[in-house]
Amino acid sequence: MIEQLRSKAKELLETKAVAVVIGYGEGSVPGATRPVFIVRPEDVGKLIWNARCANNLTRYLTRKEVLRLGKPAVVVKGCDAKAAVALAQESQVPRENVILLGVVCPGLERPAGDQCRQCEVNTPPGCDFVFGEKIENQPDPAQAFLDVAEIEKLAPEERRRFWAEEFERCIRCYACRNVCPLCYCERCVADMNQPQWIETSAHERGNFAWNIVRALHLAGRCIGCGACERACPMGIPLMRLNRKLAKVVLEKFGYRSGSDPKARPAMASFKPEDPNDIFR
Amino acid sequence: MPDKILKKDKLDAFLQGLIGRGYRIVAPRRVKEFTVLGEVASAAEMDLTEVNTRNSIKDAFFPRTEEVLRYDVEQGTVTLRPIEIAAPKTLIFGARPCDAASLAAMDAVFGWDDRDEFYFRKRDAATIVTIACEKADDACFCASVGGSPSGAQGSDALLTPLTGGGWKFEALTDKGRRLLDEAAGAMEEGEGKAAPLAEVPKRFDLDVVKSWLDGSFENDFWKGQTLACVGCGACAFVCPNCHCFDLQDEGGYRGGARRRNWDSCSFALFTAHASGHNPRPTQDARWRQRVMHKFKYYRDRFHCASCVGCGRCIRVCPVDMNICRTIERIAVHNHEKP
Repeated sequence: MIEQLRSKAKELLETKAVAVVIGYGEGSVPGATRPVFIVRPEDVGKLIWNARCANNLTRYLTRKEVLRLGKPAVVVKGCDAKAAVALAQESQVPRENVILLGVVCPGLERPAGDQCRQCEVNTPPGCDFVFGEKIENQPDPAQAFLDVAEIEKLAPEERRRFWAEEFERCIRCYACRNVCPLCYCERCVADMNQPQWIETSAHERGNFAWNIVRALHLAGRCIGCGACERACPMGIPLMRLNRKLAKVVLEKFGYRSGSDPKARPAMASFKPEDPNDIFR
Repeated sequence: MPDKILKKDKLDAFLQGLIGRGYRIVAPRRVKEFTVLGEVASAAEMDLTEVNTRNSIKDAFFPRTEEVLRYDVEQGTVTLRPIEIAAPKTLIFGARPCDAASLAAMDAVFGWDDRDEFYFRKRDAATIVTIACEKADDACFCASVGGSPSGAQGSDALLTPLTGGGWKFEALTDKGRRLLDEAAGAMEEGEGKAAPLAEVPKRFDLDVVKSWLDGSFENDFWKGQTLACVGCGACAFVCPNCHCFDLQDEGGYRGGARRRNWDSCSFALFTAHASGHNPRPTQDARWRQRVMHKFKYYRDRFHCASCVGCGRCIRVCPVDMNICRTIERIAVHNHEKP
């Protein structure tokens, strides 16, 4: 499978169909993987694929240093491919501007929370090429949001305490934001100081504001790749927050981010029959 | 002269005795799959099993957010109110030699042109007991920057693990000797056999690196080093030597507080000017800054690197940038690009 991926990458580079292949390579310490940017056909041997290839490489589709290289091909798992759908819907990366090299993924060695158990896109949809033996998985929808349910059953004060304890460790490094393919704003709301919408200090108030606002900005947009939770150096379970909002959007608007390139994103469109009870 | 030994089963007595004398104890405690340096009230709350803590000792002296002054506004007149700097007597137990060594570089910059009382009051109130390292991991590179798993620099007392359990306690400063007196009841005398310590390979020569950096600001080596870097602050914030900060006023029309918050040179807006110009407009330029600052500028000004090879940046980086590997490329492989 990896040989087929490498050979396709080589062909794309040799024919100049793309200027760079963004994929996974060996990391700097044994067992680690890292994003690699292959610009020369002879370097495709650096591309690898295994269950530790966790990064969502679609993050790089909106990084100007990468865009400067030219048209990219990007290796994507099913979850990552959803981000490409969302980026196209939001007019950030037109579909024809990228080649998606899908890899069949049975699940990561270290998923963020529940994500891999509930995966329905082991075989990534919507890609230009798919590598690996196809896996069909139909997860039970009743099991879909068990991690969110754990918190929903807490009383409001207990929920507040849960999150206060987690956010106490937040150091405002913004690793969560910077690895997220959908946090592509050149100037994040947290970086604006006229006025300072979100306090930058890593105290309880500032940390609640930051983490909740980021989750709200991702409502109906987050595709659940788990990159944020994996990137967090302080072990904050960010996916639970994002998935809570994904659950609300699914229940209220029947919308799942990244699943249908032709759909209009729920939070960016209005239908007269949209529910009003989300405003309280 | 026989050694002073602290047995594991006497550790709690040691701590409680010091708590009784007014010390606050800061030590590694478990959080999920890592440990953090934080306040503990007993030995049972401590976890000394990891190679190192996720956060560094700098949190004790230079916290991630800190009030530096308060102000009131009344009819257009601003009144400043200084902060009562909280600097409780603290025992930092279970720091690593790399963290202790990092303090020299922090002391240098916080005492450089103006003595930073927010830093030094806490620093003066702290006693640092370091435990030598029995294990290291692939991210550790202390040996390449002048450190070692048994380095004593910066510690008030060094604990060396013994084969039978417990530690040999060596007091190195007045503060360390005071601890010995205050905790005499928990110590015993004896001859302990030191347990084997971690071996950390030397990966590069700092002088070779520095001499290349001296002439290489415009070198093409820096182009394309950082395509993977997403420009977050994880590396800078867990680093014991990174010390940049941002001043922020928080408050309303009637008053508020000015806070000092951690900042990182990897952020895109770190050097953004009000004019709109940014002298470090690309991640390449920001990575170059990080390397130059730690391994050249700091040595030029303070005669030490601002890196102790603790490896935290390598462990937390979500995209495996690995500054040690960049330095190896410069020193060992004669600056080959990735």
